[in-house]
Amino acid sequence: MRLTDASVAIRPRSNWEAIDLGVLLARQHLRLLFCSWLVITVPVFVLLTAVLWQFPSLSIFLFWLLKPAFDRLPLHVLSQALFGNVPSVKQAVKAWPRLLKPQLVKSLTWRRLSLTRSFDLPVMQLEGLNGEARSKRLVVLGQRSTGAATWLTVLGVHVESALVLGLSALFYLLLPQQMKTDWDWQSLINPQAGQWLWLEHLSNAGYVLVLAVWEPIYVACGFTLYLNRRTTLESWDIELTFRRLRQRLTGIAYVLVLGFAALLLQMPNAAWAADKPEPVGSCPIPFDDPVGPSKDRLLNQSLTSKAAQASIDKILDQPPFENRETVTRWRFGEDSKKAEKKKDSSSDSALVDGLKKLIEAWQGLKWVAVVVEVVLWGAVIALVALLIWRYREWLTIFTGRLSLPKRQKREVPSMLFGLDVAPESLPEDVASAVERLWAEQPREALGLLYRALLSRLLHDYHLPLKGSHTEGEVQQLVLNLEHNDLSRFTQVLTRHWQNLAYGHQAPPDSLKRGLCEGWRRLFQTGAQA
Amino acid sequence: MPHSPAPAIQTTPVPGTLLDTRFHVETPEGIDLVMRPAGLLVRALAFAIDLAIRGLILGVGFFLLSLLGQLGMGLGAIMFFLVNWWYMVLFEVLNQGRSPGKQYMGLRVVHDDGTPIGWAASLTRNLLRFVDVLPFAYAFGILSCLYSGTFKRLGDLAAGSLVVYRDTALQRPPLVAAEPLRAPFPLSLNEQRALMGFSERQAELSAARRQELAAILAEPLQVPADQAEHQLNRIASGLRGPV
Repeated sequence: MRLTDASVAIRPRSNWEAIDLGVLLARQHLRLLFCSWLVITVPVFVLLTAVLWQFPSLSIFLFWLLKPAFDRLPLHVLSQALFGNVPSVKQAVKAWPRLLKPQLVKSLTWRRLSLTRSFDLPVMQLEGLNGEARSKRLVVLGQRSTGAATWLTVLGVHVESALVLGLSALFYLLLPQQMKTDWDWQSLINPQAGQWLWLEHLSNAGYVLVLAVWEPIYVACGFTLYLNRRTTLESWDIELTFRRLRQRLTGIAYVLVLGFAALLLQMPNAAWAADKPEPVGSCPIPFDDPVGPSKDRLLNQSLTSKAAQASIDKILDQPPFENRETVTRWRFGEDSKKAEKKKDSSSDSALVDGLKKLIEAWQGLKWVAVVVEVVLWGAVIALVALLIWRYREWLTIFTGRLSLPKRQKREVPSMLFGLDVAPESLPEDVASAVERLWAEQPREALGLLYRALLSRLLHDYHLPLKGSHTEGEVQQLVLNLEHNDLSRFTQVLTRHWQNLAYGHQAPPDSLKRGLCEGWRRLFQTGAQA
Repeated sequence: MPHSPAPAIQTTPVPGTLLDTRFHVETPEGIDLVMRPAGLLVRALAFAIDLAIRGLILGVGFFLLSLLGQLGMGLGAIMFFLVNWWYMVLFEVLNQGRSPGKQYMGLRVVHDDGTPIGWAASLTRNLLRFVDVLPFAYAFGILSCLYSGTFKRLGDLAAGSLVVYRDTALQRPPLVAAEPLRAPFPLSLNEQRALMGFSERQAELSAARRQELAAILAEPLQVPADQAEHQLNRIASGLRGPV
């Protein structure tokens, strides 16, 4: 055993921390411990089950009794691994029969119920003590660690049972519903019915599985507790540092002596570089290496440039020069699994039931209960009101955003160019009215027609006309409707209306018929049909 | 003689390569905080103590409230709610991360970065206790605690909290009186600590073991092996400086 090879940080710890270190140690060699444990326990379990098929309880009791024999394997693996000599599963399992020999009967009988089992195991297995020497050693070691070792075993029993119960509950939860309804609990409990033997053996197998997880951890915790006790008792940490210090100091001395000797030996050879070929350039830069910076140099000493470069790279690859980070995120899978339903805590109802009986016995304080209930409800309402009042501004902003955006109501002008375009102001039959007016008052007639056109554009075609539009712009908007007849009609009417309104040029009589017919065709076909 | 510690030399391996129960947090100022996460067993014991206390509170409370009839039932329901859901949270936030069980076992709850636990993290870790309880008897919590490198249950993982051992006040150790001596070679911080430890932990070691330890350094100190122990005590005394 060489302390300098230890793969854990050696320093005195509190007992609980020593146990935590055991968990970490077991976790580091998780796969090895789990596999090797299963390799030795599963055959034994299968054998016991096959032989004692009719007595599942007896078979699991025997398996439980054999635990100290199995425990020796994890301890062997961990004691090897602690000093960097990690065995393979095969090597570990091969070593197991040899580990079984010493004191097996004692371990399986009167020491089986010892509460400091895992703490005592290293004394027997690693120190090889027996009889008187072992007891004395245990007394010395146990001075400060017996309490923690006992707690380790007691809590270990609870962890084991919790994991077994958890596994059974998980198994039950994962059963399909129709299978559960088929189960008759009467026959399950009835010992005469033999068809449930397999279920008992299944729960035994669950125990074996739980042990494969927990028992190596238990052994590892006992082992680290033992190591910690020896660390404090023998100051291993101080020994370790002293050894390193000595190595450093004497090592430096050796290097100095060697270096000086080498220097002395080399001195007479004056022309080290004379036989090296000169580079081609006539005036080489002094610090430029003739063979190039990437070539191997310093080949004649223990630390070559290649080794140095490798070590530099290694250091540069670690923090704080290089900080690697693995980021793991959740994302949606193919099908989202449904979350397991939470168990209802039934303690509430039991509580309520128990208390209901008490109410009947005691009715005198009923009104107090009512008062308290009113007060409590009042407090809840006041709290809600207070919250609403406190966050009223925030609420108004939030609800303002929530409501649907209001539809902008389009404002339809009732006057354009000083003309009344409200539909009510127009006569029922515009074309006839225009024909009637045309002879005596052509201005009114044309004005009426143009007014009626604007009104129709506004209300039938929903053209967004505004008071600021000019006649030309209205014409352009009508063109955009891509209604050929309408645009032609508008064009003609607008031109003549402008001529009349601004230029005082009376429209020709021939226009009367064309415009009235056009109007009827455009706007009154629907009415006549 | 003025006390002048030798310049520290780093000769120990980089922390982190060895398996250790310590957890390092580097602050933005470059200060390395060391925390010691607490494992499953000590936490289970602390939880058991808390459970017993809560059971006691509820038992006594229900007995007293049962004398009050319907009013007692209502108050009992309120008390059950408070004890069940707020016991841990209130103690953790208002009592520096320590529920009575944790206080007794020398534990406390902190954030991952070592800051005191707040309402959000405490509520999260205690509400998610119900995930740890699944499928039965804290099975998921136990497995998570065993598998996580810093012994976190699922609630701790979600809340970003950590249960650590409290730092206890240091006791002044008994020291061996010896004439101070300056170390004949430069010592790193670790080596200085080991020398001091050798002097401070004399009482725990047997005489033979002390001789054995001191003999390791006899050669570099250039003294006979039987005088090495005294020499080391003198160096430790020199490192400590005048008391």
